[in-house]
Amino acid sequence: MGRRNFIKGMAAASAAVATPALALSEPAKGIKWDKQVDIAIIGSGFAGLAAAIEAKRLGGNNIEIFEKMAVYGGNSAINGGLFAAPNTPLQAKEGRKDSPDTMVADQLKAGRGIADEKILRHVAEHAMEALQMTLDAGAEYHPYLQQLGGHSVPRTYQTTVSCGGGITQPLLKECKKLGVTLSNRTKFEGFLLDEQGGVEGIKVRRGYYFGKEDGGNLEHIKVGKGVIVATGGFAQNINLRMAQDPTLTSEVGCTNAKGATGEAMLEMFRVGAVPVHMAHIQSGPWASPDEGGFGYVSNYSIYNFPHSIAVDRRTGLRFMDEIADRKTRADAQLERRDEQGNPNPPLMITSYKQSKQHPTAKKVLKYGVGWKFDSVEALAEHFGVPLAPLKQQIEEYNGYVKTGVDKQFGKNMAKAKGKYLEAPFTVVRLWPKVHYCQGGVQINPRAEVLNSMTGKPISKLFAAGEVTGGTHGVSRLGSCSIPECMVMGMTAARTILA
Amino acid sequence: MKTQITLAALLSFALSAGAAYAGDTLVDQGQVDGRTYHQKMYDKQNCKTCHGVKAPTSYPADDACVKCHKVDKLAAKTERQGDEKLQNPHDNLHYGKDVPCVECHGEHTSKEPLCSDCHTFDYPKFKK
Repeated sequence: MGRRNFIKGMAAASAAVATPALALSEPAKGIKWDKQVDIAIIGSGFAGLAAAIEAKRLGGNNIEIFEKMAVYGGNSAINGGLFAAPNTPLQAKEGRKDSPDTMVADQLKAGRGIADEKILRHVAEHAMEALQMTLDAGAEYHPYLQQLGGHSVPRTYQTTVSCGGGITQPLLKECKKLGVTLSNRTKFEGFLLDEQGGVEGIKVRRGYYFGKEDGGNLEHIKVGKGVIVATGGFAQNINLRMAQDPTLTSEVGCTNAKGATGEAMLEMFRVGAVPVHMAHIQSGPWASPDEGGFGYVSNYSIYNFPHSIAVDRRTGLRFMDEIADRKTRADAQLERRDEQGNPNPPLMITSYKQSKQHPTAKKVLKYGVGWKFDSVEALAEHFGVPLAPLKQQIEEYNGYVKTGVDKQFGKNMAKAKGKYLEAPFTVVRLWPKVHYCQGGVQINPRAEVLNSMTGKPISKLFAAGEVTGGTHGVSRLGSCSIPECMVMGMTAARTILA
Repeated sequence: MKTQITLAALLSFALSAGAAYAGDTLVDQGQVDGRTYHQKMYDKQNCKTCHGVKAPTSYPADDACVKCHKVDKLAAKTERQGDEKLQNPHDNLHYGKDVPCVECHGEHTSKEPLCSDCHTFDYPKFKK
């Protein structure tokens, strides 16, 4: 058994989700069309919503968003609302020097040499436009930047509600205002292809209820200008993620919404798209085994990692750079084991003086997924951590805060300047959860889906966001998904309506 | 002895009845299980009120509930203050007022609040 299999009974692991029935693409010849739209957008998260708004702004009409779930927003509505962009108003205000080049360099490093530099550069160069779209629609952000793991400078905005819903809801309202047709409980079931293998339309099931695959009515929709697939990742598809990484069993917790099962991506493979980086499935190193999904601890941890330490309960010592990229941290956490080899979630220790600056601190304490201690002795006793090594570790770490140099793990101490670890402390337990699939279909910087046999775009087929692959390589940096989703959604609209 | 047995039986029945009715609104309505707070519909065998047809074969439309129950009034009734403001199940952080009622409220089956997929919020008045 893989090491992740021992999590049973700890994390609020998602129940195994039955794999939905696969959709089926077919020739369009002879089809009786039920309806026609100019642009069909599949999925209602950041990418789909941004595509719809941009298409409207460019004069597009007859645009419909199809969402298979009852609620709009997908994972975008439940994520941390963290948006990285270079050369933003907050960076100007804080005097931070940044550029697309710097942002791309950070991402390429995390991608370990296999990220797509062209797409990353395209996203970085247009990220401010996407951020502006959210501001125009009414999204509100904290008045400070955060520096997430793997980023060399602070460049991350976060919504005041610390959640992607703070963006999806304004964008949804904007769509309604602009006259985009929104259809929930409508599942994409396949492409309808012309004789050259290009997309002529789509087949959808109206009146779909998640988990009941044969209800509702099939509808054939002719698409005049383009289909934009913006259906997100496949982290909730147990079979598919285990095919890439057998340790990602149903017992491994997942931060995703239930609908993140990946069928539209598979359908694009069926019609010729190239699968890229499917095995690079990222776990969130900020997640907690004490609550379900993304919960509250995720945002709490993301905010506090720069000025906190993570310690192994058996040793009382640090074991990683707390702001390294996600894969580095997740792998390091997974190695924390008890004497029998069972998972032993590490502790993140923070000064309450710092943690209380972010609204999630109140929440994690209130809902019992975090703890507060007035002394290191009380903390050590509660979690069974050896006291002397822990005290020594805290003292050493405070030395790094003072000197600005982490001699243990090379952590960038700039964000921890002046933020000493001192009582009272707040503590959370950490354990990675499946979070993001770097893999998906290959696209070019114009958001066109490429055919595996010809290397050319598949006619009228576009994709944006987490359903695409290759962009981030091995490890996606935190807060880089929203800019990618939105910029590539906007790009798909621009390509279609150029 | 007879008296004792009778008392025990009475107590047992009373406890059972109490347990059945104290908070449970999902009861056997004949052809289906259904909510006691919709008893009038069952008494009149009026499936059409929710399903739109006399002999339903599928789910009711999402807007069936809101013909009688107004979402703005519900949101006001379940309003929360301060840092719990966005935990209002009828006007929440992720979806605002846009969650179809049946995502949390099952008429013929038990359901959990959608929020409990990820959160440990307390909704004491929620009828399972």
